[in-house]
Amino acid sequence: MIMVYFLKNVNMHFLKRPLRRLLASIEAPLTRVFGWQWNPIHQAGTLSVLMLLVLLVTGLYLVLFYRVGAPAASVARIAADPWLGSWIRTLHRYATDVFVIAALLHAMRIFAQDRSWGPRTIAWISGLFLFGAGMVLAWTGYVMVWDTFGERLAREGGRLLDVLPIFSEPLSRIFAGDGPVPSAFFFVNLFIHIALPLGLGVGLWLHVSRVARPVLLPPKRLMWGVVGVLTLASVIVPAPLGPAADPLRLAIDTPADVIVAWWLPLSEQLSPALAWGLGFVGTVIALLVPRLTQRPRTASWAPSTVDPRLCTGCNQCPQDCPWEAITMVARDDDRPTLVARVDPSLCVSCGICAGSCAPMGVGPPGRSGRDQLSDLRALTFPVLATKATPPTIAVTCAQAPTAHLDALRALGAHVHAVSCVGNLHSSVIELFVRNGAPGVIVFGCPPRDCVGREGPKWLHERLFNDREAELQPRVDRRRVRTATIAPGDLSGTIAVFKQFERDLSALVPSAPEQDIIIDLLCEPVPMEESAL
Amino acid sequence: MNAIRLVTSGVATIAGIALMAYLSAAPVPYHANESARLRLSWSARPERIEVCRTLSDDELARLAEHMRQRVSCDGVFATYTLRIAVDGSAIDESVIRGAGLRNDRPLYLLRDYIVPPGTHRFQVSLTRREKTDDDAAAFATTVVLDVDTGRYAGRAQREASERSRRARAAIPASLTLDTVFSLTPRRVALVTFNAERRTLQLHAESPGR
Repeated sequence: MIMVYFLKNVNMHFLKRPLRRLLASIEAPLTRVFGWQWNPIHQAGTLSVLMLLVLLVTGLYLVLFYRVGAPAASVARIAADPWLGSWIRTLHRYATDVFVIAALLHAMRIFAQDRSWGPRTIAWISGLFLFGAGMVLAWTGYVMVWDTFGERLAREGGRLLDVLPIFSEPLSRIFAGDGPVPSAFFFVNLFIHIALPLGLGVGLWLHVSRVARPVLLPPKRLMWGVVGVLTLASVIVPAPLGPAADPLRLAIDTPADVIVAWWLPLSEQLSPALAWGLGFVGTVIALLVPRLTQRPRTASWAPSTVDPRLCTGCNQCPQDCPWEAITMVARDDDRPTLVARVDPSLCVSCGICAGSCAPMGVGPPGRSGRDQLSDLRALTFPVLATKATPPTIAVTCAQAPTAHLDALRALGAHVHAVSCVGNLHSSVIELFVRNGAPGVIVFGCPPRDCVGREGPKWLHERLFNDREAELQPRVDRRRVRTATIAPGDLSGTIAVFKQFERDLSALVPSAPEQDIIIDLLCEPVPMEESAL
Repeated sequence: MNAIRLVTSGVATIAGIALMAYLSAAPVPYHANESARLRLSWSARPERIEVCRTLSDDELARLAEHMRQRVSCDGVFATYTLRIAVDGSAIDESVIRGAGLRNDRPLYLLRDYIVPPGTHRFQVSLTRREKTDDDAAAFATTVVLDVDTGRYAGRAQREASERSRRARAAIPASLTLDTVFSLTPRRVALVTFNAERRTLQLHAESPGR
């Protein structure tokens, strides 16, 4: 009963705004320093995968020299090798730290951007297991070193595990000092440390199984840049090795990796039952996030629909859909083409399909191409008509930072916000231009920061590379531009807009056309009486 | 990327890496500087307290052939009182039982006590709580008159030998350690049960080394 009440009445939406602010406060400075192209926050997910690869490669080297019969001595030998061992071991450690940070940031961003429910549930749950498996790997890895930190982790693990009815003899006793720690203990650690990454591969496959064209690695320059910097850091600042574990000597402190083992000092203060209880509650809440962040599938969260009268069976929307939610199926009328069908259980209502459909036959309710044109005529054009001279149009994503929008308005632009620039139908741009706008600049989010995943990419292709639902040739491409708007790069936004205005001023002013009826080109096929 | 951004991003990268390198091996406090410990650690079988009797031939005949034992014993596993005193002051007195729901598993002990460094008198005793009937205990370990012949010849001796082996492996009714020991700061004095000598022993170094 309590659980049912909890699930019905409690949600986590109240956490999103503060989390978004927190992330923005990290993201904006990083964009200022590195530029949005190199902002590591946007690549948190791919950086996690990259770090797993680094861990795999460095781990393969380290396991060649690790000895379960003499763990501390073998690691000390590895660390003493200045040519390879020292920096490879350090790189293994630093990659672990970057993995934990990147994975946490990735999860926080997914949560804050409302991307943790519905069809994304499997990605969220598998992501949790991937992170949990990563933490177990880190635990076993540090224990294998068998320095004072490894011993501390092992003791705490033993203390926590001993309250569970798993082992016939308490695990903690093997660290008591009345005998050497058996090699079997280190063998089990090594086995888990090697076997679990195989499971990570399956977890990763599940994690991206629902997305089309999953991007697993960062752009090459960023990828090699991160690996290079970490390698350099590993050579210059080798990770220290703590004193070898001695169960009969009490260490005042341990050189602990607090990025991985941040929980250790807290856990040591709690009774095992309380520690397990807190861990259990935390895990259950994390697993319930998809349920607690769920939105009603109405209004802006409603799945896309297809108007079969308009669908020409061109097969473009299934190709553009980032979630593989659209398939082409046989029609139930006598037209010879296929028709698109949206699976509502897979659709995340990103609206990318609305921008991909030339005849405007698909899209979320209220956001299809036709809806966009209607809104333009009903809401935007009356406002534009009041202006003495037609302003330059800045189309922006609804996620764009307010400060940037205010700056664009201050520069004289008319800001036209859309849910995602990937939703924007090219006819909207054509209509703006043919209505007399001197130019249209579309500001999309940084490519790896798009909540619709591929919005800026598809938009650019449709406007400049003749991807289906392309901008018609009659529209002067010099009056259209795509750009990126990134929190923390206000000067970049202003500079791009000013440059666009300068370029426009060199062109002959455009004249508005009358009676433009773009959507008549795609008039629905009248339904037969029998079909109604 | 202009020069200022290049420098700024370089500095930010170095700062980030330095912070990560520090957090990757940050000294986290573990034990108090001026402390030492007395640790008790062992596992051993608790004593089996049994009442035994010799079964008659008729009673044996009623049992399945593979269940026939000349001497039948019923009983419980002993429980013990652990008392620890440092310099004459009791720091612990508790009841110790074998593991498992029926307390029939070995008795596992692992306890740490914080003590100040220095020279101390450590008194550790483990005393069986149950009183036993000496005759019954003696019976459990002595050989009964061997009435068996043929394929069962020597059965009673074998059973007595097994009971005797189990009794020898079990913790004795009373164990005591009374010793003076100097503990330096951050060291652990380890008390274990020596199964061969059937005594408690104190170690300054790990006995396995």
